[in-house]
Amino acid sequence: MNGREGATDDVAVVRRMAAGSEAALETLYDRYASAIFAAVYRLTSDRGTAEEVVQETFLALWNRAETFDPAAGSLAAWLHAIARNRTIDRLRAAGRRPSMVALSSAAAPDEDATQALERLVSDGAIVGGARPVAGPEQAFESAGVQEAIGTALASMPEDERTVILLAYQEELSQSEIAARLGWPLGTVKTRTRRALHRLRKGLGAEFGPGAELDVVPVPIGEDR
Amino acid sequence: MDHEGTREQLELAAVEPGGLERLMAGDTPNAQAVAAHLVGCPSCTDELVRLQRAATLIRGSVRELPPADLKERTLAAIRAEGVRRPLVVATPAAAGAGAAGTTAAASGVPVMASPSTAASGTDRRTRRTPRWLGWAATIAAAVLLSVVTTTAVVNNRVDNQLAAQNVEIAALEKVSVDTMGVAAQPDAEHVALRSGTDPALTGDLVYSPSSTALVVTAAGLAQPRAGQQYLCWVQVGGTREQVGRMFFSTHLAYWTGPVPALSGLSDGATFGVSLDSVDKDPVLVGDL
Repeated sequence: MNGREGATDDVAVVRRMAAGSEAALETLYDRYASAIFAAVYRLTSDRGTAEEVVQETFLALWNRAETFDPAAGSLAAWLHAIARNRTIDRLRAAGRRPSMVALSSAAAPDEDATQALERLVSDGAIVGGARPVAGPEQAFESAGVQEAIGTALASMPEDERTVILLAYQEELSQSEIAARLGWPLGTVKTRTRRALHRLRKGLGAEFGPGAELDVVPVPIGEDR
Repeated sequence: MDHEGTREQLELAAVEPGGLERLMAGDTPNAQAVAAHLVGCPSCTDELVRLQRAATLIRGSVRELPPADLKERTLAAIRAEGVRRPLVVATPAAAGAGAAGTTAAASGVPVMASPSTAASGTDRRTRRTPRWLGWAATIAAAVLLSVVTTTAVVNNRVDNQLAAQNVEIAALEKVSVDTMGVAAQPDAEHVALRSGTDPALTGDLVYSPSSTALVVTAAGLAQPRAGQQYLCWVQVGGTREQVGRMFFSTHLAYWTGPVPALSGLSDGATFGVSLDSVDKDPVLVGDL
């Protein structure tokens, strides 16, 4: 589904949700929650805050569906505006400033950089600007990375996905993962390496051999 | 340490928080063995560089993914805290004092259209009079006009516009009923709300201490930005209590619902509407 079709479909899904369809709400969550979470996380570097803002954003969507006006902008832009305001409120309450973020990361999915810039300027959300820094950060900002990682995670076995998420999202050591899951440490290590190989393979496929992200094949032992 | 052993150590360290940095510090026997191998092995050194870059990308991306259980937690929160749907007329009261009693979506256009209230500009308290009959007639006329307008819309607008109109019509109908219901109470009172900053911003409030029902409407109140909301509050004895929040239709803002604090209310209480926090200066205020 391209952006225009999605935007058109959004109106119908919102209408179904307003009529009480939780399935429609789930559809919209599946469609936009990840992007909202990522955008908030980039601003705050705090997963807990990002989770809270996602919940508040979809609660606002549910409660205020009737106020969504597709003529005024896309649902994606509307949701991101809610999330951004909630995020900034929290940062202000905590006496923090938003992090420097790439303009592309502040754009709604159906906005290009110019449209995002115009919206942010009109909202008074931009307090400064700088030339983007070249290097790996640019690749990091790429949606392709996120997509490649997401695809690799979705396609890997559950036990491998579990260890990699515990390691990167909860920052647990392999010993802590073994204790948490009740698995032998050797098993955790094997599954961790396999998961890492799959993720690197996904990145290598996304960016090509020149990106030097893929792993050099090395045999990995069976579960111990 | 051989290639396989070195790469295993590098990969496992790449997944641990700060693992590669600790390994490269070389302050453990294991780390020293890895370092010794890297010195004489360009292949593994290249692999370290690849691994560092890939691990940075993976860590950053994985941390931007929401946890798998967030969806269920979000849905649970919405079930617990969200308005009941299909809502139409239940929304304002559901967002109010939490009581499930009187519900209504208040229109109040007719209320605000009342010349006697729009012209006042200051708080005014008036006992119930036959003027309420005029109110009711005006409200009914507004509802009828909206229904006629919507009928035309049905024939010409797309579905989403129609749905929005239906919501508004239902709100108008319900607020009309609520307003007339409050007005019919023997102790019904009417208060004109004032804005200290914007002369174009006016509001009206009708309430009944015995039934604790309250309907407030406002004209000229701009819809808040996404993520913001106007909160309704009652201040008694210097303490403000949120009782609801304003909802918006095309031309007015409104809230209606039960306010337990109105029961046995004595002079000195205040009703107000503030942006985002009841502690902020009110955009509309009136003495109860």
